[in-house]
Amino acid sequence: MDSLHAIGFYVSAAISLGGGLLVAFLPGRGSRGLAVAVSGLGIVGLYASLSADFAGLIALVCYAGCALLIAAPQYRAVDAPVGFVWRQAGAVAAAGLFAVLAYAAFRGDFVHATFKGGEIGTAAIGQFLFAHDALATEAVGALVLVALAGATAAWRLRERGR
Amino acid sequence: MSFGLVSVLFVAVALVAVGAFVATWKRDLSAALAGLPLMFGGAGVAFAGAARFSAASDPRIFGQGVAALLAVAVLALVALGVGIAGRGTSR
Repeated sequence: MDSLHAIGFYVSAAISLGGGLLVAFLPGRGSRGLAVAVSGLGIVGLYASLSADFAGLIALVCYAGCALLIAAPQYRAVDAPVGFVWRQAGAVAAAGLFAVLAYAAFRGDFVHATFKGGEIGTAAIGQFLFAHDALATEAVGALVLVALAGATAAWRLRERGR
Repeated sequence: MSFGLVSVLFVAVALVAVGAFVATWKRDLSAALAGLPLMFGGAGVAFAGAARFSAASDPRIFGQGVAALLAVAVLALVALGVGIAGRGTSR
């Protein structure tokens, strides 16, 4: 683990978490979509510093799509019938979740190992997806179908509104 | 300067917690959808970190595969959510 990877990891962590907090507090769909894009860029940087460049490339495309969907004009607001107290309780529960999981990570005892894989590992992942776990690849295909169906529904509603 | 699995898990946990905060704090359900990429990203980072620091002799690809699957899954969920919420008012 060289210093360049470590610096990349910490900078990417700061970008992803900062973007996540911006998602929480920025008003408006445009700025929220931009914050999702920034956070996604940080997550892609985390993947790159963890030698998972192939997953990072896929995440880059998917998070760009998420940001575009959130910032798109067909975005419609749906108000939740939940009161302020319950939302506040949910925020406190999120903080409690962080505390519990962080404590579990801190108290965990992990074996230190040397990573022998490459930076991208496209061949190994291709073999994993198409030879060993073809069913998982088909599940990904089903998810892409759901995404396309949702995007089509959003597009049709926008066209109907014109 | 270096980092290990504990640092990766801390960042992953923080991403999941921030995503849960966004999902619960936002009054607008469509805006709460923006918490999903953060939560799924945190889970993906944890999987990729476990694959990176795995004690196995050969490179563990499973974690990277799950991270890629989670990225596609969150795009599907956000697209579906935005599509379903298409009947509301523009904001």
